[in-house]
Amino acid sequence: MLIVNELTENAAHEDPGHPERPERVGAVAAGISSLHLGGDVVSVAPHRATRAELARVHDGIYLDELGAYCYAGGGNLDEDTYATYDSWAIAQFAAGAGLAVVDELTRRGDGVGFVAVRPPGHHALADRAMGFCLLNNVAVSAAALADRGERVLIVDWDVHHGNGTQSMFWNDPRVLYVSTHQWPLFPGTGVAQEVGGLDAVDRTINIPVPPGATGDTLARALDEVAAPVIDEFDPTWVLVSAGYDAHRADPMGDLLLTSGDFAMLARRVREVVPAPGRLALFLEGGYNLEALRTSVAATLGALLDAPFDAAAPSAGGAGGDVAARVREQRRVALDQARAAREREEDE
Amino acid sequence: MTDIRTIAVGFDGSPDSEVALVWALDLAAPLGARVVAVHARGLLSRLEGWSSSVLESTVTRLAREHGVSVGDVSVCVEEGDACSVLVRCSRPPVDADLLVVGSRGDGKHPGLLLGSTSLELAQRAEVALVIVPSAHDVVSP
Ligand SMILES: [Zn+2]
Repeated sequence: MLIVNELTENAAHEDPGHPERPERVGAVAAGISSLHLGGDVVSVAPHRATRAELARVHDGIYLDELGAYCYAGGGNLDEDTYATYDSWAIAQFAAGAGLAVVDELTRRGDGVGFVAVRPPGHHALADRAMGFCLLNNVAVSAAALADRGERVLIVDWDVHHGNGTQSMFWNDPRVLYVSTHQWPLFPGTGVAQEVGGLDAVDRTINIPVPPGATGDTLARALDEVAAPVIDEFDPTWVLVSAGYDAHRADPMGDLLLTSGDFAMLARRVREVVPAPGRLALFLEGGYNLEALRTSVAATLGALLDAPFDAAAPSAGGAGGDVAARVREQRRVALDQARAAREREEDE
Repeated sequence: MTDIRTIAVGFDGSPDSEVALVWALDLAAPLGARVVAVHARGLLSRLEGWSSSVLESTVTRLAREHGVSVGDVSVCVEEGDACSVLVRCSRPPVDADLLVVGSRGDGKHPGLLLGSTSLELAQRAEVALVIVPSAHDVVSP
């Protein structure tokens, strides 16, 4: 069963010509309907995330300023990120949609959640908008779950590093953040040596891959680097920052993934979901509408065992040695972090 | 007083950033400091068919015009938003001890921090920051 938020393009959050555009939600909707799930789709109405729900990960001053900025007419928050008069409400509903989907999954104890909202969230920092993102949707839901005592795994397969999410849980041992991303690329963070703060050593896993990398490289790195840490962490919930800009047709990155690779990634994620109703995916990037449609269909088809059309998974691209290199860089960084923590405990 | 050896200037090719670069070049000459013109590559920059050679030639031209040895000026292109990239410039490998940016009339709503790179940077910079007013901001006496 698919639990999805009420899909809306949110046309009032738009900057003409900007790639983060309303039609993206339409592409997701087309991808979902191509699966012919019929009565197996449950649509939940979002609420506007409350200040308390947002303040788990965002600073109050930022929330005040973002609201005021939008109500003053909006504009460009930085060279990439826009806001309109309506963006504040739309962003609150986007964050609330994640909470509503998680609540519905919890209530049913069954299904897979997909939160198809815009603007995306994983670049949004506690106190700043960035990279098309205003509020960090996946982080708002992860923090809500963590506050209920859950151990939350976040897998971020967007082509960009989710710097906002990483920083929000940098020192929080309740959340394990795993990101595969192209490097170098915006936002310039996410090297393998970033392994978490002193209270959460080994709770951040970054797998940077070079331009031209293919799905097999991501799969091997996830198996060899992330899987043992995920096993030990033993998550009770799994959230995915599902960006589709790592697709080879996407204009924002240089990875060579196909729709079939997203099915492969989804199957890997499913293996670590501890129980039915404990998996929700959040739309992040994905700017080629056709790639977005087919990749969402492949992701959800794989998770729901529904037939789908997808290109063959990609293989043989750049960065074949990524897994070994990341493992070694992390080993050194983890040793240093653990030594620093011991020094702190001694003092 | 802090020894200023490396000055990082936010440079996106705009007139305001040229004003900032010229200001930094004038300061660097007597100090014997090196100047790094820092260009942040945001998400949208890769869609804009942008090339670093244009930036490099502008920087070289401005250095020559201001009598600064071209060898003491370099261009650094980094992935990220302008504010974060400049903050990172105060750490290795750039190791700037002074950041310089143009004031950019980018703060659309006065009184709000959001939307203004220079004000955001003022809050986050880890080393001294100079905000150079753009040419049209300067009112003659
Ligand atoms: Zn992305």
